[in-house]
Amino acid sequence: CHSPASLAPRRIMPVRWSRYNPSYLEPEAKKESYQKPLEELTEEEREQMELKAVRPIKAAPPSLSSSVFSDPMISKFTNMMMKSGNKVLARSLMSQTLELIKRKQVEKYHKAPEKEKETIECNPYVIFHQALKNCQPIIGLSSITRGGKTYQVPVPLTDNRRRFLAMKWLITECREHKHRRTMMPEKLSQELLLAFNNEGPVIKRKHVLHKMAEANRAYAHFRWW
Amino acid sequence: QLDRGCALHTAARDGLSSVSSQDIPAERPRAVFHTSESDPAKHTEQHEGRLYNIPLEEVKAVFPHGLPHGFQQQIQTFNEARVMVRKPALELLTYLKSSNFAHPAVRYVIYGERGTGKTMTLCHVVHYCSRQGWLVVHIPDAHLWVKNCKELLQSSYNKERLDQPLQASVWLKNFKTSNERFLQEIKTQKKYMWGKQESTEEGRPLREVVEQGLARVRSASDAVGVVLREIKQQSHRGSFRLLVAVDGVNALWGRTTLRKEDKSPVSPEELTLVHNLRKMVMNDWSGGAIVTTLSQTGSLFKPSSAYTPQELLGREGFDALDPFVPIPVSNYSPREFESCYGYYLERRWLQHEKAHTEDGKAELQFLSGSNPRQLDRLAGPL
Repeated sequence: CHSPASLAPRRIMPVRWSRYNPSYLEPEAKKESYQKPLEELTEEEREQMELKAVRPIKAAPPSLSSSVFSDPMISKFTNMMMKSGNKVLARSLMSQTLELIKRKQVEKYHKAPEKEKETIECNPYVIFHQALKNCQPIIGLSSITRGGKTYQVPVPLTDNRRRFLAMKWLITECREHKHRRTMMPEKLSQELLLAFNNEGPVIKRKHVLHKMAEANRAYAHFRWW
Repeated sequence: QLDRGCALHTAARDGLSSVSSQDIPAERPRAVFHTSESDPAKHTEQHEGRLYNIPLEEVKAVFPHGLPHGFQQQIQTFNEARVMVRKPALELLTYLKSSNFAHPAVRYVIYGERGTGKTMTLCHVVHYCSRQGWLVVHIPDAHLWVKNCKELLQSSYNKERLDQPLQASVWLKNFKTSNERFLQEIKTQKKYMWGKQESTEEGRPLREVVEQGLARVRSASDAVGVVLREIKQQSHRGSFRLLVAVDGVNALWGRTTLRKEDKSPVSPEELTLVHNLRKMVMNDWSGGAIVTTLSQTGSLFKPSSAYTPQELLGREGFDALDPFVPIPVSNYSPREFESCYGYYLERRWLQHEKAHTEDGKAELQFLSGSNPRQLDRLAGPL
């Protein structure tokens, strides 16, 4: 990124909080977008390609990967699990969790009789996404102060907020309410499998929130947005 | 075995949610990387790159303590034990088949970079020898005898040496499980005194020595020494063939992390177990073979880039083991990689949708560099 005055020397290292000039474009990491032949591109995509030839491009963030196996939800969850910037540890915990889920399910699959084999889900990514979806609350509570008293008012939640709450509840549940000596992958895999089957403490917490919102239905008119 | 592979193939195509939209052509048989030949004596070059099955009861009998931890977890998960037949193992098997047992025992040293399959090659050879009815003395990891020992007793036999009762008793228990019938047949040739009152007479079966070692843990290391001595002396008679399989043989000639009570460091020759094992690995006996593996992973005070015999054994170890037959083990060839990848797909270990595609396969090959251990670690979360 370059400073506004053209006479000032160009910085080699970007400074924190410095903003890119609006003319900079986002980097594109997916291989498929570069392998499409010219004829298949729509009008907007052709314009985008011509723009990319002239405009400068922002530096790629370290978490952007062109691997076919990368998943944005998993990266988000890993970042939330990270403590004091130790991404290596967080990522290894995440991969151990996925491996543990898969190991448990594949063992169950190979020991099950033929009829039940189709009901057992072995893909850890499918289990992770479904468990998160099951944990997401539909409605939330927000505190509004009227006449000196604070009321808990039921309020709709955005998609981002729901995803964040589901991930946060899973991680806090594993960190706080389990035995001190159990490893994180073990605790997380247990919680994810329970949430996948709509059981477990995280689903209970979601139901408690829904009940509180239902109980406070009378205050819903306090909401003005 | 082939039918079973095909049956799973159709079941996988009919059923499940995790199958990708990529169409698998019906002509390509998925079971081409399996082989139904479960006797290592009959493995030849045409079986190279294929996986053969070891029945689970045989695994418990032959390998009470030899298999790597990752492989044991895999057996637990897939409910079967499949080992790949690779070139170094086939080479070793041909040498063993054509060796003259009247000559002194030949020493084979399996070496290679980290994670290339040295321990699995050793296990393949051990399986062959136990199928052929040899007596197998298998030390799963010699590094465990030179580090992290909680109890060190002064040996009653020789004042300067130190005993390791825990390690010796664990090894004796596993040795008993794998070689039951030999312990009954081999008789002692001398009277042995265990302390002031207990003794084993001449002509008693070796099983009594082993039981003495297990019952009186203090004399377990001496029991190990007696067992090894008896076996070595009687192997030239020809009533049984002896295989000495040591994993991590470079531990015998390095340094230890153990300390005596006055905090002075212990060198390997002061340990009874290591002293007796060194005598077994010498080529002054006949009627068998010695197959060893070098290992950097558990080694002490060696740089992580060292993998050749010269670097890992040091001068002392190299002189002691010289002359030996070196057997290098390298990463997977393209055919072996295909075979391993196909096996993981068939056993439903690779679950990610993209892992079934050509792109995913190319990415796995690139990231792992065809190294077996790296491929295993990468395929874990996928």
